[in-house]
Amino acid sequence: MPLPPNRVDYSPIIDRPVIKWPNGARVALWIAPNVEHYEYEPEFDGNRDPWPRMPYPDVQQYSYRDYGNRVGFWRMADVLDRYDIRCCVSLNMAVLEHFPEIGEAMVQRNWDFMSHGIYNTRYLNNYTEEQEREFYRDTIDTLKRHTGKQLKGMLGPAISGTERTPDLMAEAGLIYHTDWMHDDQPVPIRVNSGKLVSVPYSIELNDAPLFRQHYEGDYFAEICKAQFDQLYQEGAQSGRVMCIALHPYLIGQPHRARYLDEVLSYIMSHDGVWQTTADDIAEYYIANYYDEAVAHAAQLNA
Amino acid sequence: MPAERRFGMDHPHYDWSPLNTRGILRWPDNARVALCVIVNLEHPEWDPPADSFTTPFSGGLGARGFPDYARLSHREYGHRVGIFRVLDTLRRHGIPATVAMDAMTAENYPYLVRHCQQTGAEIIGHGMSLSQMITSNMSEDAEREYISQSVAALTRATGSAPAGWLGPEYGESNRTPQLLSEAGLRYVCDWVNDEQPYPLHSPHGELFTLPVMWELDDVSALWERRVVVGRYQQLLEESFETLYEDGQQNGRVMALNLHPWLIGQPFRIGYLDRALGRMMRRSGVWAATGSDIVNWYRDNPPTA
Repeated sequence: MPLPPNRVDYSPIIDRPVIKWPNGARVALWIAPNVEHYEYEPEFDGNRDPWPRMPYPDVQQYSYRDYGNRVGFWRMADVLDRYDIRCCVSLNMAVLEHFPEIGEAMVQRNWDFMSHGIYNTRYLNNYTEEQEREFYRDTIDTLKRHTGKQLKGMLGPAISGTERTPDLMAEAGLIYHTDWMHDDQPVPIRVNSGKLVSVPYSIELNDAPLFRQHYEGDYFAEICKAQFDQLYQEGAQSGRVMCIALHPYLIGQPHRARYLDEVLSYIMSHDGVWQTTADDIAEYYIANYYDEAVAHAAQLNA
Repeated sequence: MPAERRFGMDHPHYDWSPLNTRGILRWPDNARVALCVIVNLEHPEWDPPADSFTTPFSGGLGARGFPDYARLSHREYGHRVGIFRVLDTLRRHGIPATVAMDAMTAENYPYLVRHCQQTGAEIIGHGMSLSQMITSNMSEDAEREYISQSVAALTRATGSAPAGWLGPEYGESNRTPQLLSEAGLRYVCDWVNDEQPYPLHSPHGELFTLPVMWELDDVSALWERRVVVGRYQQLLEESFETLYEDGQQNGRVMALNLHPWLIGQPFRIGYLDRALGRMMRRSGVWAATGSDIVNWYRDNPPTA
């Protein structure tokens, strides 16, 4: 199939093995704060310019993001704590080295972590195979060293990758990739060795693309609630995944944090919500549905 | 070619005809509005041909470096998930779908072809793929071949030749209507300039336009203009109210062009559902496929 060649078998959501989440939940809800650091004077890779506005540094844009770590993260965490949310952080690993208090705050809350690369200003697109292998070793080791956790998944830094990415991730022992916007359930991604699934992330319920446009916090709350209502209804038949993607420099602004509270208050007042992490969704899916899904899709496409 | 300063259109495809000077168009049962919902099933290619042309908006998300998993898979969402929400919504409101399907979808998604046929949708031509628009860059032979291959792929997949056509991203060259007609197509949805069907000049048999409302296309409204989705519901309803009012005098067509990767997202579908519900509760609304509308128009042309 075209996306990209031979990675994903077509499988229509109305004709699949039924997914039952733990305790009969209808919706697996995961919250993905992107905890990032953008370099002050990054090296331009000739592909994607992290600060396209002007010659480096771009203090306005650099400090706008740095606000996320100095202020926004803490405000966001307060809101999340009110609802006992256990996040799965999309983490630039270097944050653990630069800003240990943030690492400690996340570990203390027993959050999970997926890799979001080392810095949000270093992208994978130009990596050689060996550089990319080394990149996975580095992210796995860094996370282990600072948090004690085993890395299980990745959202490519700024959603970048190479054609080899799924194979090399699986080879490094990762089990999920969240760069795929193609579904409301996990989907097996074909790789050379091991098992890899996509876990639905969101490029729509995501404060970064939203708040770069004219949308504001009230709209974010409206569409998050609408998304939940639809998935909750459908999830009565077969489990769905809902992800809310956050960036502390955006959602942690004083005028926005209240809307995250509004969303969580609404969703968490429902029964049948499995508030979980991408790590747990991927593991549960692989343990219970991966083989069945692969066989079903193969049969459907035969 | 630059326009000559003279009466009428600056191209040969149709005649100048302001709506207020026309005869009266009557729909079946004196309906005021013929409602047509076109659903796009189209695919951007991983590796499009080197000489292909597409617009910056074609992939939805802003382009990232290769390989752009996010951008391509966001479109794929329409085929895996969104289409079923959209078709189910139309079914509940008794609206037959008109599915614009590109050759790439027809060839690679037999399940979707069957599903669309089972739900009673009309399937119309939609080019080879989203990443290959028709433009004047194509030679006449290349364009003829492109149309012929698109039609052949649909004919193989569905068992019959399509009657209608919507170019990827509404793309045409200056000879497309003639070539569509030559290929046996009977109506085209690329021209967004009217609220009634109208005939195109063609040496190869009858060809009509089924005009789409571009501002109500979900890509135009929700993606390019970033209209908030609640406001989009209002745009649909307010447009409908005006056409319903105007359609009392002279029948109107309301043709919506929708993209399952966009309107079929969980948080958006409810707004479409509510807008269509408001429309379909009214009497004097004829929900029909593109072919139904064009055939009726041909057999019952406006009268003075």
